[in-house]
Amino acid sequence: MRFKAAAVIVFAAAFGLAGCKFVKTADKEKEDQAGAFDPDTLVAEMWDGKVLPYLEKRAAPLAEVLAATAADPDAAGRKYGYKAKQGNAPWTFMAKVDGVIVAEETNSRAAYVDVDVDGDAKADVRVSIGPAIRGTALRDCLDFVDFNAFKNQIEWAQFGKAFNTHVNATILEKLPREGLTGKTVTATGAYPLPAKGQLPQLVPATIAIGG
Amino acid sequence: MKVTRRLITVGFAAVMAAGVAMPSFAADLIAIITPSHDNPFFKAEAVGAEAKAKELGYEALVLVHDDDANKQSQLIDTAIGRGAKAIILDNAGADASVAAVQKAKDAGIPSFLIDREINAAGVAVSQIVSNNYQGAQLGAEEFVKLMGEKGNYVELVGKESDTNAGIRSKGYHDVIDEYPDMKMVAQQSANWSQTEAYSKMETILQANPDIQGVIAGNDTMAMGAIAALQAAGKKDVIVTGFDGSNDVRDSIKAGGIKATVLQPAYAQAQLAVQQAHDFITSGKKPAEEKQLMDCVLINADNADKLETFALKD
Repeated sequence: MRFKAAAVIVFAAAFGLAGCKFVKTADKEKEDQAGAFDPDTLVAEMWDGKVLPYLEKRAAPLAEVLAATAADPDAAGRKYGYKAKQGNAPWTFMAKVDGVIVAEETNSRAAYVDVDVDGDAKADVRVSIGPAIRGTALRDCLDFVDFNAFKNQIEWAQFGKAFNTHVNATILEKLPREGLTGKTVTATGAYPLPAKGQLPQLVPATIAIGG
Repeated sequence: MKVTRRLITVGFAAVMAAGVAMPSFAADLIAIITPSHDNPFFKAEAVGAEAKAKELGYEALVLVHDDDANKQSQLIDTAIGRGAKAIILDNAGADASVAAVQKAKDAGIPSFLIDREINAAGVAVSQIVSNNYQGAQLGAEEFVKLMGEKGNYVELVGKESDTNAGIRSKGYHDVIDEYPDMKMVAQQSANWSQTEAYSKMETILQANPDIQGVIAGNDTMAMGAIAALQAAGKKDVIVTGFDGSNDVRDSIKAGGIKATVLQPAYAQAQLAVQQAHDFITSGKKPAEEKQLMDCVLINADNADKLETFALKD
């Protein structure tokens, strides 16, 4: 009998604890659902631990990606890019840029530098330097985020924009804005498959403008 | 329109029939339910879905809910009563439509959503969603560029009850508000209507003669706005729309409206019917329920290739 009683007490205690924990989790979930969707925090939390290592692993030298894309965009996409399984989004490629700035546009708020990576003095890629950034390439290159996990296209879009806000605040705002042409630049980032005859428009996740 | 009206009548007759518990023997019916065909965008959806359904050997029941959730619910009953094998739906509200789609599911009829999404997962088999937000951002980026990143502008917003009116407006402002020299002097709803956009634009111009741009939430409102601007002799005002209609294509080619954003209405309706067919015949679901269909910017460079909500290669 004593054993039985003890068992009951132990069981009750365990149950009580588990119950307590369960309620806490449920409350937390409820809180999260009730609380405003916070894309900036989502991005900040995944940036160092997931986004940067993923890009470091997947991104190849730009010249290599461009050559592969010219030969076979789908094969290149599978190797150097990502796109959602369903829907009609184009491939988003990941690339490392290492070259020389041959042109700059810093009067526009959607500022950019054109970069030559193969030494022919002609631009091979247009790198956004903000503060306004077009598109959602940094979100769209990631194979571990999915529209289906979001409530609707508004939250999905805000999540996409949060990547641009993040790179703006953490790296782009600190960049020099004058006399960029002729300087060297290294960057790792993503760009959607460009229309024929247009430069790829890369959104950087890391960038350094040198001497 | 005549055909549609007749089909609606048939639909209501079917509800009556269902009311007296007549079993239905329609073996291969697909119901196609969209907003009013007065907007050519929705008509293109219905036409695309119907053509694909017939191609795959189905009978098509084409119905319109006029953005009325109650009417939509009745039409779902019609589809259930007629024993439809699947429902292709451009729904009448992200929250209001969940129950209607659930009702069809409970009756064993799978739904395939096009254009607009609902705020619930696992109720429809697939949701082929027009990426209105991405499209709005494309349109706004072009608008800002055409405006030289500065100036006074007017926004014409769509019908408030339509989720996409709000989504597009948010997408526009997400981009435009990053440019401090862009000043919105008026923002009004013209309810997707060309005539209403015309009269609203006239009134706005009286109070704000100094405007450089108008960004409209859809093409019919852009058409109304440009007509009012031209009537007032303001030929240099930048006007952009959204949808990719043939009317706006022709205006772009004639140097009127400057840009619009194409939603692949025809293609996504056809894709939905194909997915319905796969599900009916093999039980195969698409890999992901929600599938985003990106929009494409249309301007003077590619307007030539646009025809009935599809871009030729």
